[in-house]
Amino acid sequence: MVSKHEFKAPSRGLSLNSGNGPSLIPVDIKHPNYVALIEPDTAFWSLVEKSALADTLADADFIDAYKQKADRFADEIQKLRFGLALNAVYVNPTARCNLNCTYCYIPQDMRKSGVDMTKDQLIQSLTKLRDYFKKVMPEGRLPQIIFHGAEPLLNKEAVFPAIEQFKNDFRFGVQTNGVLLDDEAIEFLVKHGVGIGLSLDAPIKEVADRTRKTWSGESVYENTLRVMEKLKGYDGYNVICTVTKENMANLTDVVDFFHGQGVPAIMLNMVRCTLPPAREIKPDDHEVAEYFFKALNRTYELYKETGRKIVVANFANILVSILAPMARRLMCDISPCGGGRIFFALAPDGGMFPCSEFIGLPEFCGGNLFTDDIDEVLQTKEFKMVTERKVEDINPCNKCAIRHFCGSPCPAEAHEMHGDMKCTGAFCEFYEEQVRYAFRLIADGIAEDFLWQEWDKDTETIFDYQQLELAK
Amino acid sequence: MKNQKRQSKIIATRKSCSAEGTGLSHYILMDKGAKK
Repeated sequence: MVSKHEFKAPSRGLSLNSGNGPSLIPVDIKHPNYVALIEPDTAFWSLVEKSALADTLADADFIDAYKQKADRFADEIQKLRFGLALNAVYVNPTARCNLNCTYCYIPQDMRKSGVDMTKDQLIQSLTKLRDYFKKVMPEGRLPQIIFHGAEPLLNKEAVFPAIEQFKNDFRFGVQTNGVLLDDEAIEFLVKHGVGIGLSLDAPIKEVADRTRKTWSGESVYENTLRVMEKLKGYDGYNVICTVTKENMANLTDVVDFFHGQGVPAIMLNMVRCTLPPAREIKPDDHEVAEYFFKALNRTYELYKETGRKIVVANFANILVSILAPMARRLMCDISPCGGGRIFFALAPDGGMFPCSEFIGLPEFCGGNLFTDDIDEVLQTKEFKMVTERKVEDINPCNKCAIRHFCGSPCPAEAHEMHGDMKCTGAFCEFYEEQVRYAFRLIADGIAEDFLWQEWDKDTETIFDYQQLELAK
Repeated sequence: MKNQKRQSKIIATRKSCSAEGTGLSHYILMDKGAKK
């Protein structure tokens, strides 16, 4: 008897959308001239002039061209989804934070009175991680350690000596609210080439203060601006803006401001709705999409006016996931997401979680770095709840054409909002619209203007239908 | 938007490379600056 894996239906697959033929789903991208045809499983796409759609659906040359590459495209997606090894760890050297931001995914009591990792424990952790990565990563490529939080600089007495000691073993980054970034700290981090991520939700004090403030409700806006001024010109510095209904109307101001500050890349991240307070300020998908696109349009105008880009990294990643799936950097927007397989989060007590989003959820603790084997933790049921969450098991992702450009983030949101991993996260229509916008840029021939420098430096073109046509 | 280029009847491209995807969206992992 033939197993279901070996069985192949007796169909030559000559036509689209039947038998063994490719499934190319038409998707309206809201462009005046083009419509998309997308093969969901291989993430193959084409943009077809609306007037040529009917002919293209029956064009044997077009179907053949795709079929010749279909296996390679499928292999790429398989590798991205299931074949990559761990290469980064988000280390929380303290559970404490000096701010009380509305949308934080770490519970309040933990941020108020949580523990710190001692210097020795951090050294012990990085030693174990260094030795592990030497076994699993290709030579010449360094793993990444991102000090995250809570506020990692509350424990810089442990963090800075660790960076010094392991400077040749990891690429380091730190995501900080900037409150403790004094001249000495900046000098140390810049000298060691450490990436510095800051957070600011608006260039208007009244708006920024709605979501980011101290425990006693005081503003940190002026301090953040002061730190940004000091970091001007440092290549390894970026800013994250968390988008909520409190600031969505100001996203174009955000772009103008950061471009004026010379910031090369920002993220306009939709608020993660893992914990209830964040859900209170979640914007509506369709409404926030309009503001988001106005901000992206502004980045384009600024580039044309000044010759200098400001890249919105989270959008650029979606665009890259369409143009060159393997070149994507951020692994939230792929299914399974990167949590627990490409990176994990380390709590200050040694607890290992699939991602920072889960640090406040004890049922997702897979083990302890101080005592447990890393590979064994990656295989625990706590990690597998995340690493085995697939779009094929989620409705409506299982019938959605853009499922591999979106990935249905985020599992922590799905679990906490719906009590079920087989649900979408907080945003769905926003992702749909984001992908449509990306396709419109491709249709207009201006996608490159939204991407970071040399984004395709190490890539090769493996499909170009226009070139195939010209070669006939 | 302005400056749109004239495109062909069917646009379909794909680039490939070895995968180095790393991060979650809590930290920017673009290790290359914006094009000048």
